[in-house]
Amino acid sequence: MATVTIDGKTITVEDGTLILDAARSLGIEIPTFCYQAKLSRLASCRLCLVEIEGQKKLQPSCATPVLDGMVIHTQSPAVVTARRAMLEFLLANHPLDCPVCDKGGECELQDKVFAFGPREGRFTEWKRTFHSKDYVLSPVIIKNANRCVQCQRCVRICEEIVGASALGSIGRGVKTEETSFMRAWLNCDHCGNCIEVCPVGSLMSLPYRYKARPWDLKEVDTVCPYCGTGCTLTVGLRDGQLLRVRSRRQTGVNEETLCVKGRFGLDFVVHEDRIKRPMIRKNDVLVPVSWREVSNYLKERLLPLKGKGDSVGGLLSAQMTNEEIYTFQKLFREVFGSNNIDSSSRWPVASEGDFYPALLDLISTGIYRGNLREFLSADTLLVAGSNLTDENPVTEYAVRYTLSVLPLHLFILSSRPSRLDKAAKGVKRYIPGREVRILASVLKEVMKAHEEDLKRTFGDVGEVIQGEVIEDDFVRALSSRLLGSRRISILVGTDLLRSPLAVDAFRVISNLIKVLRAAGKECGLQFLFDRSNQMGAIDMGAFPRDGGMGFGSLLEASRDGRISFLYVLGEDPVLNYPDGRLVREALSQVGLLLVQDAFMTETARMAHVVLPGATFAEKDGTFTSNEGRVQRVRAFYNPPFEARRDLEIISHIASLLGVDLETDPSSIFAEIKDLISPYRGVDYEGLGDNGLFTGHEKGVDKGLHPVAIRDVALEGWGFITGNHLYHSGYLSQRSRLLGSLIDAPFLEIGKEGADSLGVREGDSVKVRRNGQSIELKVRVKEGLPEGLLFIPENFGSLSINNLMEKGVYPFPVEVRKNG
Amino acid sequence: MFEKVLLKNADKPESHRIKTYLKGGGYEALKKVLKGYQPDQVIQIVKDSNLRGRGGAGFPTGLKWGFVPKDPTVPKYLCCNADEGEPGTFKDRQIIEKDPHQLIEGMAIAAYAIGANKAFIYIRGEFAFGARRLEEAIAEAYEKGFLGRDILGSGFDLDITVHRGAGAYICGEETALIESLEGDRGQPRFKPPFPAVKGLYNSPTVVNNVETLSCVPHIILKGADWFRGIGPEKSPGPKLFCLSGHVKRPGVYELPMGISLRDLVEEYGGGTRSGRKVKAVIPGGVSAPMLPESRIDVDMDFDSLAQAGTMLGSGGVIVMDESTCIVKVAKRIIEFFHHESCGKCTPCREGLDWIDKIMKRLEGGNGRKGDVELLEDLCNNIFGKTFCPLGDGAVMALRGAINHFRDEFEYHIEKRTCMVA
Ligand SMILES: Cc1cc2nc3c(=O)[nH]c(=O)nc-3n(C[C@H](O)[C@H](O)[C@H](O)COP(=O)(O)O)c2cc1C
Ligand code: SF4
Ligand code: SF4
Ligand code: SF4
Ligand code: SF4
Ligand code: FES
Repeated sequence: MATVTIDGKTITVEDGTLILDAARSLGIEIPTFCYQAKLSRLASCRLCLVEIEGQKKLQPSCATPVLDGMVIHTQSPAVVTARRAMLEFLLANHPLDCPVCDKGGECELQDKVFAFGPREGRFTEWKRTFHSKDYVLSPVIIKNANRCVQCQRCVRICEEIVGASALGSIGRGVKTEETSFMRAWLNCDHCGNCIEVCPVGSLMSLPYRYKARPWDLKEVDTVCPYCGTGCTLTVGLRDGQLLRVRSRRQTGVNEETLCVKGRFGLDFVVHEDRIKRPMIRKNDVLVPVSWREVSNYLKERLLPLKGKGDSVGGLLSAQMTNEEIYTFQKLFREVFGSNNIDSSSRWPVASEGDFYPALLDLISTGIYRGNLREFLSADTLLVAGSNLTDENPVTEYAVRYTLSVLPLHLFILSSRPSRLDKAAKGVKRYIPGREVRILASVLKEVMKAHEEDLKRTFGDVGEVIQGEVIEDDFVRALSSRLLGSRRISILVGTDLLRSPLAVDAFRVISNLIKVLRAAGKECGLQFLFDRSNQMGAIDMGAFPRDGGMGFGSLLEASRDGRISFLYVLGEDPVLNYPDGRLVREALSQVGLLLVQDAFMTETARMAHVVLPGATFAEKDGTFTSNEGRVQRVRAFYNPPFEARRDLEIISHIASLLGVDLETDPSSIFAEIKDLISPYRGVDYEGLGDNGLFTGHEKGVDKGLHPVAIRDVALEGWGFITGNHLYHSGYLSQRSRLLGSLIDAPFLEIGKEGADSLGVREGDSVKVRRNGQSIELKVRVKEGLPEGLLFIPENFGSLSINNLMEKGVYPFPVEVRKNG
Repeated sequence: MFEKVLLKNADKPESHRIKTYLKGGGYEALKKVLKGYQPDQVIQIVKDSNLRGRGGAGFPTGLKWGFVPKDPTVPKYLCCNADEGEPGTFKDRQIIEKDPHQLIEGMAIAAYAIGANKAFIYIRGEFAFGARRLEEAIAEAYEKGFLGRDILGSGFDLDITVHRGAGAYICGEETALIESLEGDRGQPRFKPPFPAVKGLYNSPTVVNNVETLSCVPHIILKGADWFRGIGPEKSPGPKLFCLSGHVKRPGVYELPMGISLRDLVEEYGGGTRSGRKVKAVIPGGVSAPMLPESRIDVDMDFDSLAQAGTMLGSGGVIVMDESTCIVKVAKRIIEFFHHESCGKCTPCREGLDWIDKIMKRLEGGNGRKGDVELLEDLCNNIFGKTFCPLGDGAVMALRGAINHFRDEFEYHIEKRTCMVA
């Protein structure tokens, strides 16, 4: 600890605390430009200079740690003069074209000059100008070099947090310009984090350009609707129109970052594909009708099904709010008497009956409901089954940041190469299904080393792993790291959920966690769900229970003509269920297919009744993120046309059947809080800027589950699927901006694979299976395992799920060079 | 006559060859060290010699070496600073081209002392010939077993790599040099940590000037006392002075530290070429404030020059006769620093740009009343606030010119023309 005096006030702080932070904790404000909490220190702007008694020179408080006994002045004449001088220097060449600058009104340069001077200009020379016109760096970034203050926050965030390294400095001295290589179109993630951190109007959002002055914006805080990372974001509206999205400093899991989907992908809400009115199929065409007509029709059709649990089923999106999901399952369980509910149609599980029990066991055993950043402060991190860069970008940022400040050992077990690989201590590629053997081998090593501990905790465990294990560098390195770690965190990705042997994989991981804990270590997991409220959907019970059917079984039952009513809310299985033919065939046999959605999806086109629902922009409620953090979703639009909030529609349907269900999210949440144990401590009204974490249920320790190692054979080519950074389903598909970044799906193939097919980057190939074929452009990706291909999921019109088959993964295909 | 040390081989035929070097007792110091000294003993000898860095700052060399942590598990690096960018300075070039083995031997001893097995010579890009000379000399040294694995059977390994810079003055600053060596933009790094603790590839690194390292073999062979006996005790040793400008006999002179500046200019340099009176002398490269003729009775060593309000710097002595327009000189010096400012920090980047514009205007006959005061104020606003000493150097040079020749500046403003023209 060090005790220092700043401006006459004394404070005791940890050794190594920066003078800046010590001053701030005393409420003393020191202006900064280049300093940014989570970035490497630069100490270049010299705005934060302070006087330290006994030192000749002023020192940058943003980079100078306190020493015991230091006496520091932040208001002395020398400091005040220096500060004013730095601002005068920054203004010297600054264009000061505030009237046409998007930053005007929220500009750090304006604010600092206002606060600290100078009050009059002395610079009478010609100003330096780089380019008289702003230039476009990407579909989302526009650059005005003349306004740059050279703080390099953009460069550092791009490299150190995002990992894209798309920005750098060119030129020297006063001609230095922070920009892209050759000022060309940026090869970047288009996340706009550089825009967010730019203190001035040098890097600006192209979509927001000249759209508003900041004081004209009405801002609403809500949560990103895309992935389960659960970033908080603030939307800015002018005249009721969404104009921009920003993040807030030190708020939420994302702190000041967002990925491209969250920052620029929200324009989907106003896509012309919105369903305007209810529709009923008449003479095989969907005809718009009034709410009254559709209500009468539904009442007539649904009343006979009340209580007929077996013949009805529901599928809803894990992008719905907790309150909607809770009410939906209540409608099914209490009104229809049915347990046939599911919340994802994208996991082609082979053994559906075991899937959720195994998943729930894994959750109750291992889940860490708490801050991701704290979760990552471990000795070892295992990322299993995810290309984090594409699936959960901001989670990847958090991992990258943690790696830069803590001695965290990262291990990646993933089918797909990712940008994080080069930071990892160990990387292992596998053909899906083979992850079980790899993880089991690690488990076996750990068990061997802790036989005594296991006996004490579990008694005689017998042969937990049946089958042959492997010994390779990865298994050895990971096992020995696990043995040497005190705190271990595991991130479980959606690739594992898609695995044909997902159930075995869950069991191995659950065993591993139990074993490591028995050995006295802290160990927990978080999921890397790619849907904003997947965690909430599971918590709310949106899965088959007590003999209910999951979506796969529902489809089979439908095909056999056993389903009279199927209610699909916000999902598009026709495009994304991994067996395109089965889903079309099955849905055509359903007695009454009701699709409620904001958009006219492929599934909606097959429906008997279509109801116009809402997007996240039009609702209030909560999401539960992968961290188990409950956060408020806040409406900033009204449902357009005749669309209604989904909660209202669900309870309207219940009312047609004579049952009253609550429609007020806070009342529903109060019920959730009473009934669902992890939510016990969470108060709807108390969900502030950072949300609240759900609590842990105490899982019953049922001992270790024996796992028999099986493998998945892959002969020839097989493809796997998943998200792309710009695109993760039918919402992103309807974002015009995201669409402009990527217009067509592609085929990723390893270098050797490409050579063996005689194809190169950009060539067109034909991918065939069961008489179906699609054409795709090749992207050569170093590091994909032999035989494995990657095609991004659900890219609109191109139904790659026609090449998929239930229970199989990877999907075997033939590939040929086109033409 | 002072017996040459650093340049003793320079005028021999084929002075750069290893055979010439060996004939003059070359590599004996390395043998002596590897046979009979522990690294700590070498550091102690260098400390005792009071050798101070010849790169500009005059930092005690032995002390710097002593800062390197002793932990044998961390790799350590030695970097020879051969960037020689300070205008008026051309002494390292002399060593590199004429007697490169002296430097290589010095590096081998230094590397041994700090426990480095890898060394770099960061050489100014324009020194293409020098770089080739170094490559050839290094190859000879490898061949003779003075570099490489298990040098002279001692178990000590050393590899030396020559790296050519790409033309930035700032890359002579030790941390910018390290950044550049790593392949990054040549901009200085925040200190602390100092390179001796965390330098190249985040490992302990010593950066020393060519001339500094070249002194080392002589110190080893002749002893610390001998070295300390040359010139002033606190700032001793043989020193290379680069004489340029309006002198009759420009060139590199090896003389003991502490020689009088006037003697250097008048005796060794032979006075001005034109026969006109000396007007001013810059004693240590353009960062060093100039001295008017009335003040050149000063000893050429670190401390005496500091006392005289200027510095020894790199030993680049630039002589100006009465025909010189000091305003033009100041403008030219500012132009240089403005051009070479790396752009990292606000005061140097923006401040020098502003000053550069004023100086161009003023020198061009468009000065305004108050310009000199404005320049002085801008100097105050830069000085001591920059990230690295480059910005300070520019300001010191300008202040020197204004302090001693203020009337010339005022004349320029009033008469819109030069006082000496
Ligand atoms: C702007 C700037 C330029 C410099 N250029 C050189 C140079 O060209 N050669 C050099 O040896 N030292 C140069 N230095 C000094 C180095 O930073 C460093 O102090 C020196 O190389 C240390 O070696 P020494 O202790 O042997 O003098 C420069 C310093 C600054 C601030
Ligand atoms: S960056 Fe700030 S000071 Fe500069 S023009 Fe824009 S609003 Fe004005
Ligand atoms: S563009 Fe903005 S963030 Fe980047 S260096 Fe310039 S002012 Fe800083
Ligand atoms: S990481 Fe996920 S939650 Fe965060 S902005 Fe991107 S898509 Fe949204
Ligand atoms: S003083 Fe600042 S701008 Fe100038 S060279 Fe040093 S770091 Fe770069
Ligand atoms: S904020 Fe400290 S130097 Fe920029």
